Amino acid sequence: MPVDRAEIVIIGGGVSGLSSAYFLAKAGKDVVVVEKGMVGGEASGRNGGMISERTDEPALIPLAVESVRLWATLDDELGFPTEFIHQGRIQVAVSEEEMGDIFTERDHAQRHGISVEQLDPSQISELIPGISGRTLGGLFFANGGHANPQRAVQAFAWAFQDLGGRLYQNTAVTGINVKDDKVTSVETTVGDIAADFVVAAAGPQTALLADMVGVHVPVAPARVEIIATAPLDPLFDIALVGNGLYGRQAARGNLLFGGGAHEWIDVDLTSDPAKPNTPLIRNIARRLAELLPAVADVPVIRSWAGIVEQAPDYMPIIDIPDSPSNYIIVTASAHGFGIAPATGKVVSDLVLHGKSDIDISGLTLNRFSDLTPDWRQNRGWIPAHH
Amino acid sequence: MESRPLVVVGAGVSGTAAAIEAAKAGVPVTLIDENPVPTSMAGLNVPLFFGQRFNNVLRDRALMMERVAATNEAQYEAISEAEEAGVDIQLGTCVWGAFRNSQNSRLLDGPQIGLADHERSWMMKYDRLIVATGSRDLSFGFAGCDLAGAMGANGAHSLMSRYQALSAQRMVILGGGLLGLKTAKMALDNGIDVAAIVDIAPSMRGEKTLATLLQSKATELYTSHTVKQAVGNNGDIQSVVLVEIDDNLEPIAGTEKVITADTVCLAIGLVPNIEILSLLDCDLTFKSELGGYVPTHDDRMRTSVYGVFVAGDAAGFHEAMVHNPDIARNQGRIAGIAAAESLGATTKGFPPLKGEMSEGQRGPTQVHTIWKQWLHSLANAAGQDTFACQCEEITRSEIIGLEPPRYLEWESEQMNRRNLQTQLKDNPVNPNQVKRLTRAGTGTCQGRNCREQVALLLAEESNTDIADVPLSTYRPPLRPLPLNVIWPDDESEDVRNEWPKWFSPNNKVLG
Ligand SMILES: Cc1cc2nc3c(=O)[nH]c(=O)nc-3n(C[C@H](O)[C@H](O)[C@H](O)COP(=O)(O)OP(=O)(O)OC[C@H]3O[C@@H](n4cnc5c(N)ncnc54)[C@H](O)[C@@H]3O)c2cc1C
Ligand SMILES: Cc1cc2nc3c(=O)[nH]c(=O)nc-3n(C[C@H](O)[C@H](O)[C@H](O)COP(=O)(O)OP(=O)(O)OC[C@H]3O[C@@H](n4cnc5c(N)ncnc54)[C@H](O)[C@@H]3O)c2cc1C
Repeated sequence: MPVDRAEIVIIGGGVSGLSSAYFLAKAGKDVVVVEKGMVGGEASGRNGGMISERTDEPALIPLAVESVRLWATLDDELGFPTEFIHQGRIQVAVSEEEMGDIFTERDHAQRHGISVEQLDPSQISELIPGISGRTLGGLFFANGGHANPQRAVQAFAWAFQDLGGRLYQNTAVTGINVKDDKVTSVETTVGDIAADFVVAAAGPQTALLADMVGVHVPVAPARVEIIATAPLDPLFDIALVGNGLYGRQAARGNLLFGGGAHEWIDVDLTSDPAKPNTPLIRNIARRLAELLPAVADVPVIRSWAGIVEQAPDYMPIIDIPDSPSNYIIVTASAHGFGIAPATGKVVSDLVLHGKSDIDISGLTLNRFSDLTPDWRQNRGWIPAHH
Repeated sequence: MESRPLVVVGAGVSGTAAAIEAAKAGVPVTLIDENPVPTSMAGLNVPLFFGQRFNNVLRDRALMMERVAATNEAQYEAISEAEEAGVDIQLGTCVWGAFRNSQNSRLLDGPQIGLADHERSWMMKYDRLIVATGSRDLSFGFAGCDLAGAMGANGAHSLMSRYQALSAQRMVILGGGLLGLKTAKMALDNGIDVAAIVDIAPSMRGEKTLATLLQSKATELYTSHTVKQAVGNNGDIQSVVLVEIDDNLEPIAGTEKVITADTVCLAIGLVPNIEILSLLDCDLTFKSELGGYVPTHDDRMRTSVYGVFVAGDAAGFHEAMVHNPDIARNQGRIAGIAAAESLGATTKGFPPLKGEMSEGQRGPTQVHTIWKQWLHSLANAAGQDTFACQCEEITRSEIIGLEPPRYLEWESEQMNRRNLQTQLKDNPVNPNQVKRLTRAGTGTCQGRNCREQVALLLAEESNTDIADVPLSTYRPPLRPLPLNVIWPDDESEDVRNEWPKWFSPNNKVLG
């Protein structure tokens, strides 16, 4: 006997799952979210908080553009603060190589009709006081900005509950029951939950949850790191990319910057993956000091790590397989925070109407039909021996 | 990268004893201690709760180096072999990180620690590590606790014994256990007036003889009292208002006493410094009688992680340890010998157990019950609007309300309906979650001065045993280090050239 039933069960209380849950509940649906840990306990509460129109990734642009529009409405919509700041994103070049990227990005953006402005070093130092004198040039994208990850994911969770949604935290999904090409229920650590529709938005574990029903979702988990400094007086409120880093100055004043090598790992279905830091945080600190030499003496007070999943083409997957036909796969390929509001909209559209007005044709599973099962080994996207 | 057979972190009683034993067995030992700490860090109450009560001498780094070295030499005197064996001592050097290969981190070139002085940082590999990092002060918020002059017993002890740089005239001590009485005695020996010792209990827990001795020095003992407020001028404490409390820890109106003092020293408890052990993922268990989360270890002071040993307060603190340094010293000797033997050295064997004592002799077993009562009495006397997290200026009532930080100036019906209680209906108590939402513990001291207070508050609000409140995560750097100190000044060209950009099809991605 199921312990609960819902029209829609969503696996994963990250920002993708909870944004989907929110929009479905808002459409009047009876929704349950099952999360193995706490809301935002994984990547969704640990990321850099960057939000942009993703000019570099054509397949993502429709989703990203819609997301930026939605972000601007979220505080009012949800009733909780997300710390969204809509001051745009700036990408600066401190080397000839990065300057090359700047030209490519600019052309991409223009080709896709995205607002972009090329900046010279003096314009940049007006926007980002204290920026490196080595800055050669940059781009300003007016649409975009940043938000506080934990606050945003919690805002979706609370607003979802306010609409009557049920959220099971500390409850892991351990199995998927299928009958006649349809998922009938999910097995959890507190019992079965019956559903008409199931959304697997479980980050890296989505692949394991898909495997259970014979669907291959090619993603590899990786660990990435980020550092935080002590608070500074307000310097800039634009999301900043440059010198191999991405980051922002938080509302409180701390600089939060990440970047550098990631490490491929494996995860299992129900446990909390270890997320240690490494001495890489020193190299991140160095790059940050080079990027913002004026504040090179601000103390680093913390670092952390998070787990993201990557598809072979570094793009999200949002799709309904042929079978089971009431099962939506959602993985973000490390783009998931910025695009989360539109991801939720799309998932809600797919459940309600079987299709979405937002173009996600580049994000379906069939793009991997030629992929061999040993693709991770072939690319070396596997954990090192130790 | 430098590599050492044995690194001992902490040159206190236990670490020094460990280093000496291992050196006597012929093992090359590196002994690291962060004293003297840079004044910038001391000013942030890191690593100890100094409460701005260090005098200007602390700024004289050369002099401080001398004094700290002299303190260590004094410990060496008895054993000249050690000096001959040549323990490599690195003072003014903190350990801010510890890393080893594990499930999701496999690319390290062996276990290593991150070190820094006031100018630069570097990494060091080790074969064996002895963590002898001592303990830190338990700190509770009360009205006026953000004034200069509110400090901790270990901070005071350190400023008196290591630095000879405590600039206090007249002290009020909170805590009538051995810790408080010893602190009082030490202050008096250093020419500081001790105006009062305060305890919430109806009698002083500490030794009778000591209490009587102190009383004869014009120190008032206030039992069944708590602090209502520290009153200041220009940011400095000038007086302390005490109030009598009833059996329910409620203040009794009209019993206030104003005591002239420039310093309030919290000597209610000490908390083992387990940060490095936590980064290394050593097994930790909650033992109230030992001050909270402590590493599990065997009788050779081996932790659950191969090659990592622990000794002294870091292995668990009880009050008898301030009275009898032999306890920590003995643990240090055992750890030193065990580490040496595990490296293949021959030793003269383990010393007979000395100073260890049975449960009843150690001090209170339910330490956190006493802490909880203190916290209650302080809240009852001054209300919930005093800071629990001083760095971020978060009050107890803001934590209970799960309020977004004030600077967001957020107001909404929806938010008003949410608080810690509603959150607890969804989720067992989780300090990491509360921290991210309220920001309590996210400041420069990284929760060093508010962890216990927040954990006790959460236990209370959730009706959970304090032992079941999970440990809020430790992360490197364990000390606030400037970008241009923690950065590698010897970064290789390879790292520079192969720095990948965020996962992107256009860029080279490192395995
Ligand atoms: C350091 C870092 C920086 C980043 N920076 C950015 C950035 O600046 N901008 C950006 O857009 N993106 C960024 N990302 C990526 C972004 O955080 C993720 O893509 C996004 O959070 C994914 O959200 P999600 O909900 O899909 O997955 P997750 O956040 O991983 O959530 C999945 C949830 O599913 C739960 N789960 C897993 N298995 C089960 C199970 N069996 N049963 C129940 N629940 C389960 C997990 O506990 C988890 O909470 C960054 C990520 C990291 C780690
Ligand atoms: C009030 C009071 C009175 C005392 N009276 C006496 C006394 O009369 N006689 C006596 O011998 N002892 C006395 N002590 C000291 C105490 O009893 C013992 O020293 C203690 O029990 C245990 O010593 P330890 O070696 O474990 O820690 P500690 O002596 O505290 O030494 C730990 C050392 O590790 C260092 N450290 C910690 N973390 C790091 C890091 N990350 N990097 C680098 N260094 C680090 C600390 O700075 C410190 O120097 C007193 C202590 C107090 C609080």
